[in-house]
Amino acid sequence: MLQHLLTLIWNKKRQHFLLFLELFVSFLVLFAVFTMLVYNYGNLRTPRGFEYRRVLSVTASLQVPEGASKDSLTQLSEQLKRSLRNMPGVAAVSYVSSNSPYTLSSSSDNLSYDNISVQAESYWADDDFAKTLQAELLRGRWYNKQDVAATRRPVVINEKLAEKFFGAADPVGRVLSGNRQIVGVVRNLKDKGDYAEMIPGIYQRIDSGFQDKFLIKLTAGAAPSTESQIYKTIMHHLPGSSTEIEKLEDKRVVKNRLALVPVVLMLVISGFLVLNVALGIYGVVWYSVNKRRGELGLRKAVGATAGGITRQIVGEALVLTSLPLLLGIILAVQFPLLHLFDLPATTYIAAILLAAVFLYVLVSFCALYPGRQAAKIYPAVALHED
Amino acid sequence: MIQLKKIEKVYRTDTVETQALNCIDLNVAKGEFLSIMGPSGCGKSTLLNIMGLLDAPSGGQVTIAGSDTLHLRDKQLAHFRNQRIGFIFQSYHLINDLRVLDNVELPLLYRKSTAKERRELAGEALGKVGLGNRMKHFPTQLSGGQKQRVAIARAIVGRPSIILADEPTGNLDSAMGNEVMDILLRLNKEDGTTIVMVTHDEQMARKTHRLVRLFDGAQVQ
Repeated sequence: MLQHLLTLIWNKKRQHFLLFLELFVSFLVLFAVFTMLVYNYGNLRTPRGFEYRRVLSVTASLQVPEGASKDSLTQLSEQLKRSLRNMPGVAAVSYVSSNSPYTLSSSSDNLSYDNISVQAESYWADDDFAKTLQAELLRGRWYNKQDVAATRRPVVINEKLAEKFFGAADPVGRVLSGNRQIVGVVRNLKDKGDYAEMIPGIYQRIDSGFQDKFLIKLTAGAAPSTESQIYKTIMHHLPGSSTEIEKLEDKRVVKNRLALVPVVLMLVISGFLVLNVALGIYGVVWYSVNKRRGELGLRKAVGATAGGITRQIVGEALVLTSLPLLLGIILAVQFPLLHLFDLPATTYIAAILLAAVFLYVLVSFCALYPGRQAAKIYPAVALHED
Repeated sequence: MIQLKKIEKVYRTDTVETQALNCIDLNVAKGEFLSIMGPSGCGKSTLLNIMGLLDAPSGGQVTIAGSDTLHLRDKQLAHFRNQRIGFIFQSYHLINDLRVLDNVELPLLYRKSTAKERRELAGEALGKVGLGNRMKHFPTQLSGGQKQRVAIARAIVGRPSIILADEPTGNLDSAMGNEVMDILLRLNKEDGTTIVMVTHDEQMARKTHRLVRLFDGAQVQ
């Protein structure tokens, strides 16, 4: 029967050309949507690598007086940190760079080791960063005050960067470009949002100068007034500063929403397309059934059952879908083969399978009702009409 | 082979009731070639449809090859038609999107057979009607007589014991009509196929074993 359906559809290829084209474009759009969904879902499932709850993100901008020495500014920042750390309800405080978790900032650095070059996110953070975000160290240690005397700048790298440079080998002790010595490897921190991809990252030590961005980890039993006490403490040390305190939890929600905007847009656009395709297929199958009443009546006369007629109509729609689908798959497979957009091959393969299954289910669903109506054709009447 | 007892057929709408067949009793023997004649609208095609299990009577009994067919379900009816009955229609009912060979194969698609077997049987059937050289043609490339011969090949490909022909020569000129009639007579004589033919043509009807006349849904001869 499959061969018969293939012959029938092939012989009608000219009549079905526009539908072929519509199904081909639909598959490509569905492939793009599913690639986006699979990519985002894969990222969502990746462990976050740090704890964002009960963490405040603070920005305290201050017009630094002209001529102020670096030492005095360092001292000012250290005093503020000390005061904050000693407050009741505060578990840890860490100075960070502007690309701290869930911000829109980004800072990249081109790193190299042994003729391998990698573009990595470059973070600056102080000695208490891992403690503040409860980031897990996989190898070595986080840098600390003892590293001040070291001849090489201590850095901590994330798993992703370690894998790029060293594979499974231990990176601790190795020296990267810029005389940066790796002292530890931290678990990947998904700090660009839950749907963001893990990227290579390097953490470098903040040890001097005025710092205007920091993270504060609160204790589990911190009083609700702790936030206002923090504000007062900051204003006491940095009078005239412009201070903004945000919960990392809130920043995460905003960041995630921003990441979902293109996904939602794509879903809305493809939703309209899918609706159009569904109506188109339904219309074509319905028209075809009505135009072929005589043929369907004949098929019943020569031995087709009602179920067989429904299966034939749905089968024809599926065969009709298979040809443009095959062309679409050939095109889609080029994405992992040519490493386009640098996404994992598994993402593309999953998207191809999902798009194909979705299209088959959609087409079956659209052909089912006309198929059932076709099954009700009374052969004596249909053969007489034609 | 075919026994019809007290067959009634009534078409009902909300306001009108039309008696298409009225108490028809008819027996068709195995190997018989029977023709049915009558004016338009007298119920000839309705009777043929009931014999072919394409339509159900409003009353009466239809027995084919010893089987009471009235209580058969859709699947059983389809199987019965496929195995035992071949149909020939006035307007051929060929599928224009399929080649001649594929058209002839059609009944075999609904029974267990391999593609090779289907090709062989369809080729053989086309050979019997003298169209072995037209297998790859599409119906639109054939004349009316050739189309009807393809329809005959489709009717006999499954080797049914009964052929029901509804005005098989109605759309053909006399030469082509005679050609088609000769094929039917040969099938009846050589293969012993039971044939029931509805016709308007007295001359064609005279070539068959027996003639039944209908008038206003009733058998008059």
